[in-house]
Amino acid sequence: MIAERPLVTIIDDNESVRESLPDLLRELGFAALAFSSAEAFLASDCVDETKCLLLDILMPGGMSGPDLQRELTRRRQPIPTVFITANGDETVRQRLLAEGAVACLFKPFSETALLEAINDALGVS
Amino acid sequence: MTTPCVTLNDGATGFQGGTATTDLITILDTVDVPIVVLRRDFMLVCFNKAAAGVLRLSPSDIGRASRDIAVLAGLPRLEEQCGQVIASGVESRADFRDGEKWFVVRISPYTTGDRQVTGTVLTFTNVTAFRASIDQVIYERECTKAILNTVADPLVVLNADQRIQSGNRAFYTMFFQLASLRTQLKKLLAGGHGFQPVEVDHVFPGEGQRTLIVDARPLSLPGHSERRVLVTFQDITARKQAAAPNDLRAIAERKEELWRSEAFLAEAQRLSLTGSFSWRVTTDEITWSAQLYRIFEFDQGMPVTLELIGTRVHLEDIPLLHDMIERARGAGTDFEYELRLQMPDQSIKYLHMVAHGTRDQDGRLEYIGAVQDVTARRLSEQALGKAQSELAHVARVTILSTLTASIAHEVNQPLSGIITNASTCLRMLAADPPDVDGARETARRTIRDGNRASDVIARVRALFTKKESTTESVDLNEATREVIALSLSELQRNQVMLRAELVSDLPHVTGDRVQLQQVILNLLRNASDAMSGVDDRPRQLLIGTEREGGDRVRVTVRDAGVGIGPQAMDRLFDAFYTTKSGGMGIGLSVSRSIVEKHHGRLWVERNDGPGATFAFSIPGEPLAPEGERESGESPSISRYDG
Repeated sequence: MIAERPLVTIIDDNESVRESLPDLLRELGFAALAFSSAEAFLASDCVDETKCLLLDILMPGGMSGPDLQRELTRRRQPIPTVFITANGDETVRQRLLAEGAVACLFKPFSETALLEAINDALGVS
Repeated sequence: MTTPCVTLNDGATGFQGGTATTDLITILDTVDVPIVVLRRDFMLVCFNKAAAGVLRLSPSDIGRASRDIAVLAGLPRLEEQCGQVIASGVESRADFRDGEKWFVVRISPYTTGDRQVTGTVLTFTNVTAFRASIDQVIYERECTKAILNTVADPLVVLNADQRIQSGNRAFYTMFFQLASLRTQLKKLLAGGHGFQPVEVDHVFPGEGQRTLIVDARPLSLPGHSERRVLVTFQDITARKQAAAPNDLRAIAERKEELWRSEAFLAEAQRLSLTGSFSWRVTTDEITWSAQLYRIFEFDQGMPVTLELIGTRVHLEDIPLLHDMIERARGAGTDFEYELRLQMPDQSIKYLHMVAHGTRDQDGRLEYIGAVQDVTARRLSEQALGKAQSELAHVARVTILSTLTASIAHEVNQPLSGIITNASTCLRMLAADPPDVDGARETARRTIRDGNRASDVIARVRALFTKKESTTESVDLNEATREVIALSLSELQRNQVMLRAELVSDLPHVTGDRVQLQQVILNLLRNASDAMSGVDDRPRQLLIGTEREGGDRVRVTVRDAGVGIGPQAMDRLFDAFYTTKSGGMGIGLSVSRSIVEKHHGRLWVERNDGPGATFAFSIPGEPLAPEGERESGESPSISRYDG
């Protein structure tokens, strides 16, 4: 069952997001886990399992989203990443896409936009 | 002299009668010198015809005591003198005045044949004419003395031994005018020793200017008790002249020094673009320094008048100039103004003027002042001001966007949750079978995220609302004066003429002083801004305080600006509504909310003439009992002309 359902991991410091997104992802047919920081995610055993990252950009007090992405690349464990941010900054989005992000969603985003981005990340057309 | 003869023949007088006596009396009657005979006991015995005429004696006076005869009372010591004459047998004299006439009275003993002195004979010699001639002589002498003393040339009268008989004042002052000399000589004559030689310069007729050293020492002459002083005069003119070139050099050096300091001052004025002036207000006599002529670009030395100055002053600043002149004439206090000049080539000069008022002994007012050409500074200030306002605009935009981003971030998080939860909820309900429990849970989370978003808004609002507003008793007159003081230079720069009419018996209000001052400041700035484009009339601004309906206090700000259109009138107090290019449009809305927080109201009215009047009124505090009030009962208006 787990093998059939690709694991989408959410890393966001905001509680509302951590609580709401996993349920929706499950409804959309994914396996979902949420972490409140990049460090917590790296310390878990889910890094290998994760097929797609829904990653917040700024997480106060710790590693930022792009930091994590670079770290994973350094570890040679790159994971397709969809950034999610509450700051609707277009220049930041362009930069992230240029650095290899699959998508960058501005909160609040629609279910459709989310699904589209994850499918892109998983390579499903 | 018939009647006195009868008395003279009276045996009681002791006078011997007989032809010889009668003959004598006849002879005496022909003498026009009044003669009066008194007995030992001063009783009038007889008198001749002249005495009857001149001294107005009548036969009834015969036998009366001399003290009882009115005319003889003019000789107060008569009895005493007669007594002495009778006792000594030596004649005596007395001065006697009868009206305008002066007499010398000779009192002689009346000796009988047996060498007995039985009385006195008084002969009255009229000396009136003589006396008058003496008075004339004294007068003439004083006149001559006065004339001689007013002559500047020294005059000396010498006697046969070439000794100084007398000299005029000029002569004495020639040597003895110096106080130090006089004091020293006085000390010497009084018995002192030691004399400090005194140098005296004097122009001698024919000799020219001579310099003398006057020295003195006391002389003690054996057998002479009187002290004398030997005075020596040493002519040192030649010696002085030998030393003169040095003096001339010193004078030349001093002159050069003076010239150098004047030149320095002129140069300093030229370099600092500062001119100086003096203005005698009563005569309008104006003196300018060279630099001031250069600033005004008038020919050096041209007579300066207020009218002439007026021809250079910028048209818009003419009211300011008149205002300045009017104030200067009245108060006599120091003043400071900024004026613009319009030069013939249409360029504008900015002048900063400071004047200090002084009064001379007669109370006449004179201003001494400095005028600096601050054109370069003003232009760079204007450029700076423009840059600042652009910067401020950028800063505002930046702050606003940062603020917006931060608010958006905070709100977007819960919004994101809400949308996600709602999507989840819909999916759960659409499933077969519907996951009702899951849907309920997501709906609950939706509500919670909605509350989170609402909390964010509340936090933002709290951030921008100053909670700790202080409440105190505020004197709106005082508060207004402070705001005026703060704004005065800005208003002057904008050529706004401010008039303040603050009633003195204004009740205090309860509230936040700083907030109320912000309202007043905002109204003043708006009024000033509304007049910034006004050039065809004075930019007059009136700020006033008054009581409204007994228990409220009203502050009014009236401008002569562009006024308010009907559409603007409705939206004027809306936030973010503005008619000004640089305005945020929050001033009036914030002002109104402040006034309303003070249980007052803020409104605007169109003027009958140009411009608008903004006013707010706030409930006043109940007045303290009569005795505790500071101001008087009758309302008076304190005016402040800025």
